[in-house]
Amino acid sequence: MQTVAKLIDTTLCIGCKACELACQEWNDQEFTLGVFQGTYQTMPDLAHNFWNLIKFNERETAGGMSWLMTKYQCMHCADPGCLRACPAPGAIVQLRNGIVDFNHDHCIGCGYCITGCPFDVPRLSPATKKVYKCSLCSDRTAVGLSPACIKTCPTNCLTFGARDELLRKAESRAEQLRADGHAQAGVYNPQGVGGTNVLYVLKDATEPEAHGLPKDPTIPLSVALWKGPLKWLGTLTLVGGILGTFFHYVRFGPRTYEGQEK
Amino acid sequence: MTNGWTDVANADVVLVMGGNPAENHPVGFRFVMQARLQRKAKLVCVDPRFSRTAAVSDCYVPIRSGTDIAFLGGLIHYALSTGKFQREYVRQHTNASFLIREGFGFEDGHFSGWDEAKDNYHRDTWQYEVDGQGYAKIDPTLEHPRSVFQLMKKHYARYTPEKVSEICGCTVDEFRKAAEMVTIAAAEDKSGTVLYALGWTQHSHAVQLIHAAAMFQLLMGNIGMPGGGVNAQRGHANIQGSTDMGAWNMLPGYLKIPRAHWATLDDYLKANTPGKLRPDSLNYWGNTPKFMVSLLKAYYGERATRANGFGYEWLPKAGEADNHGWGFFFDRMYAGKMDGLISFGMNPVANGPNTAKMIAALSRLKWLIVAENFETETAAFWKAKPLAGQYYPAAADPAAIPTEVFLLPASCFAEKDGAFVNSSRWLQWKEAALDPPGDALRDQEIIARLFLKIRELYEKEGGKGAASLLNMSWNYATPGLPSLREVAREVNGRDLTTGKQLNGFGELKDDGSTSCGNWIYSGSWTEAGNQMARRGQEDPTGLGLYPEWSWSWPANRRILYNRASVDREGKPWDASRAPVRWDGARWVGDTIDFKSDAAPGDFSAFIMLPEGVAKFFTPDLVEGPFPEHYEPAESPVENPLHPRVSFNPLGKVFTSDRDALGTSKDYPYVGITYRLTEHFHYWTKHTAGSSQLQSNFFVEVPDELAREKKIKSGDRVRVTSARGKVEGPALVTKRIRPLTVNGKTVYQVGLPIHWGFAGRVSGPLINNLTPSVYDPNSGTPEYKGFLVNLEKA
Amino acid sequence: MPLETDRKIPRFDFGERAAHWMAAISFLYAALTGLALWSHKLYWLAFVFGGGATVRGWHPWGGVVFALALGVMFSRWARQMRLDADDRTWLRLSHRYMVHDESGLPEAGRFNAGQKMLFWMQSALALLLFASGLVLWWPEIMPRALRLLAIVVHPAAALGAIGGIIVHIYMGTAAVPEAFRGMMQGWVRPGWALSHHPRWFKEISRH
Repeated sequence: MQTVAKLIDTTLCIGCKACELACQEWNDQEFTLGVFQGTYQTMPDLAHNFWNLIKFNERETAGGMSWLMTKYQCMHCADPGCLRACPAPGAIVQLRNGIVDFNHDHCIGCGYCITGCPFDVPRLSPATKKVYKCSLCSDRTAVGLSPACIKTCPTNCLTFGARDELLRKAESRAEQLRADGHAQAGVYNPQGVGGTNVLYVLKDATEPEAHGLPKDPTIPLSVALWKGPLKWLGTLTLVGGILGTFFHYVRFGPRTYEGQEK
Repeated sequence: MTNGWTDVANADVVLVMGGNPAENHPVGFRFVMQARLQRKAKLVCVDPRFSRTAAVSDCYVPIRSGTDIAFLGGLIHYALSTGKFQREYVRQHTNASFLIREGFGFEDGHFSGWDEAKDNYHRDTWQYEVDGQGYAKIDPTLEHPRSVFQLMKKHYARYTPEKVSEICGCTVDEFRKAAEMVTIAAAEDKSGTVLYALGWTQHSHAVQLIHAAAMFQLLMGNIGMPGGGVNAQRGHANIQGSTDMGAWNMLPGYLKIPRAHWATLDDYLKANTPGKLRPDSLNYWGNTPKFMVSLLKAYYGERATRANGFGYEWLPKAGEADNHGWGFFFDRMYAGKMDGLISFGMNPVANGPNTAKMIAALSRLKWLIVAENFETETAAFWKAKPLAGQYYPAAADPAAIPTEVFLLPASCFAEKDGAFVNSSRWLQWKEAALDPPGDALRDQEIIARLFLKIRELYEKEGGKGAASLLNMSWNYATPGLPSLREVAREVNGRDLTTGKQLNGFGELKDDGSTSCGNWIYSGSWTEAGNQMARRGQEDPTGLGLYPEWSWSWPANRRILYNRASVDREGKPWDASRAPVRWDGARWVGDTIDFKSDAAPGDFSAFIMLPEGVAKFFTPDLVEGPFPEHYEPAESPVENPLHPRVSFNPLGKVFTSDRDALGTSKDYPYVGITYRLTEHFHYWTKHTAGSSQLQSNFFVEVPDELAREKKIKSGDRVRVTSARGKVEGPALVTKRIRPLTVNGKTVYQVGLPIHWGFAGRVSGPLINNLTPSVYDPNSGTPEYKGFLVNLEKA
Repeated sequence: MPLETDRKIPRFDFGERAAHWMAAISFLYAALTGLALWSHKLYWLAFVFGGGATVRGWHPWGGVVFALALGVMFSRWARQMRLDADDRTWLRLSHRYMVHDESGLPEAGRFNAGQKMLFWMQSALALLLFASGLVLWWPEIMPRALRLLAIVVHPAAALGAIGGIIVHIYMGTAAVPEAFRGMMQGWVRPGWALSHHPRWFKEISRH
């Protein structure tokens, strides 16, 4: 099966937030009220009922003002930190088309995925005690529809399709931008997580932080430690402990004393 | 729009000014993005704020609100002084070569003919010099000192880049960069489009402003060209339709409203049917009698006969100088001269300027009928005091308001069929998706039942103007609920002899043998069926005109004035991008904006105008034949061009006891109002999803001003004008840059509109601050560019 | 002095035993449910305890009970658990203890140095477990840096503690017969006391 992807051309994003609403409507999320924090952003952050957030970043650069609007959601990593961290088998699944999906019947609400995610995406619902995030509308894509956000995007900033094709499209758009005088234009497809199935075209790919994207995201060291060496060390402790004491008994027997009850 | 949304993709440069399509027309904005991706088009954004559109533009120029004419005048000067304009187009298709009478001039803020005593112009020097046959004299070399071209050059010689900078507050370099970018469209094979919206129409000199844009586009040779035009982005799904149907102060199809001094149909037609001003002018408005008689036949049916002037005399008539524009009738209402108001899909308390005056005016009515989906601020105006007492301290207590309010639950768009007319002039038919909920009725049922009841009362009791109602034709299958299909067929018009639907306005007659509810819509529902419901996606020209998709007025023409995309002989200016072509025997491509069976040389290109060509110079607008920069009614500076005549001499300022203007001494900052993309005007605050996206009112405060006043984002601030105040949290931003105007630092304060006291989210009504100042031509209020003060609350 | 072999010498009073067993049960619960969440291969344990979500919900409470019980034990024993010079010698020669060769080992008091070490180790690990457990309990309100730390500290501490407990259980059951009764019923035989905790036995015999 072909790996699918979402391409976000940030140079075409106008921050209209249609994707925010489409996401909520398709996924039956309850509406709340926005939180004012001195920007145009709807919420300070993603939420269990808000899987798709346009981040607004305003700054002055040498070339004048810039007001970056960047869609933020699950990146559907090739090597998903959430999946690595998840203790409940089957709660997080990586579909053959590359979508990283949550199965809430199996989710136990531990929140380890929140910590394991290098992009800080999953969110715990206080009501259901389960964790939620963008599923790339796996229920839509399974039947050949595009994800809700892509369907609603008015400027074609968002496209959905085969990953290889979108990656080529992204590269050629970056090329076009470079030819147009944006020397730093490039594609955001971080290799620290094996690449992502959500790709970005950035006017300045050397500085993804300006968009609110981590520069070199990797699976957190502690998650890697915990799921790597610590696992072996732990097994050694358990097995070693049990076998060690058992064979100690076999070799040395109990420590007895004179007059011990029989 | 002269062109249309899909056509924007054909542009090489897009000038966005007085609008913010990325914010307010995000769906249409996709075609701007297409132009960028496919044609490498440049996007130039001129706006007081670094807007969402600015965020994706190639060139952003900040400008002080209300100085757009200065900027456009600067562009005109730049084009003329650098020779970056399309000379042949200007020579062939405009009135640049026309000669103006001796005595025309402009001095110290006034055009010639100013009458200080009457506070108005005598326009006799603003006319063409005519020959013995009444035709205008021309000089094709454009050299004659009294030619429009030379007069225009002289008029705009004052608008140097330095002057533009001094007035608008942008730097000279910023202006030059933008000017260079937009004037690439002067090349014959380049097109530029202008997208504007309420940032242009809501000034006391708005019509002149759009005139200036049209002049610039004519200089660039962009009118009639794919990817060109002057394009108004309409703010509602059907606002184009409401203007076309004459919902304001016109009859359908832009026919003038009858006035008392045109007592008979002949008087009316004589006064409103233009004669041609050049021998080769087609002068299509010469057909006005056909349009008007057919309209009267639609109104009065068989009762309209030649003998009774087709019922013209039954039509209500306005007095010679009456104005029924918004500001005028609310002023009359406030003066206690009106009994009632039917507010249909309108929310004057929220959208009218000077909210306190709106509320006070409604309080003086005997009755108010509001037909709406929700209980709007207007329907609930009597609750203004308890709900928003902090903003309307003078609002009356409900018990003291005599107005009887009827709130009629109406259906929303999805519960009705009918056509939406979009910015592209497309009439797109839609079907109803749902039945109206509860007691809500479809609009046509509300109107029909009111009509039938009122007619019944007139029949029984008689009264003034009864004939107009009693003679009206009302031939619907169910009189109390006309189907919109019946109405649409009626609007299209039929041949009364054969009973067949008309194919277009070319078939209209002035002898009473045709009826037509709106001549420009004729052709939308022919014998072949409902053309508006078509959804064909063929694109024979390859220009994205989609002639089989819905139906576009007039005559399914997708680009107005497309005759001007070819030269006098019929040769396209840009062969790679020709919407129409003369193949030697006939016109092919888009519906030609011309006599369809005439050869190119038979007539000049602009058939709707008596001149036959487009007008740089026009005596039709009240404050002068050329656009001139005038300051808003409330301005932080005196007009740098002519301080003695700072404000538009004919701008309408109301002076009731609730109307006041402030000065920059008390109100040093410029207030600008705008909508946000998350909202649809004052409506979506009633819906959960949209309310969530931008729940909170805020005031956008320039960073530098905030530092001066020690205001941080989130701090509560109070914004006051001479009319009222609003309060809310500050959003401190660098996106509204302080400007240096005439040597003085000017701050602009951003005030998004949307909130009110009705709906799921609430906040102040921004129009509490705006003044009762109006454009003299259109009657649109000056919502942009008024003076405010700002303090930490 | 002849040994009255049938005498019951009180070893742990009821308070001590109650606290110990509360700690033991809650530790076992927390350890087994924790192990279920630690490795997919042990996730079957989660089903034994009511399913993943139940385990996620109750595991932290197991930790809280353990912490409380341990707190009681700590307050009862901390003074007695202080290491003295004899203990240090004992620890240096503890390899002999492991092979039942007790030559040169100083006499143990109420607790031998090995027990004392276990006590201090488990207390320290419990502190780590408790602190990191709190972080993991409410991931949505905890700073990411702390969560990242906790995610390693918690299982590492838990595994250390489980390792210690395995040894402890072995010592308290198979390796040292009758010790179990001391913790269960609260008394030991004089011979046992003299053999395992001679200094303690002599001290209580003097009174």
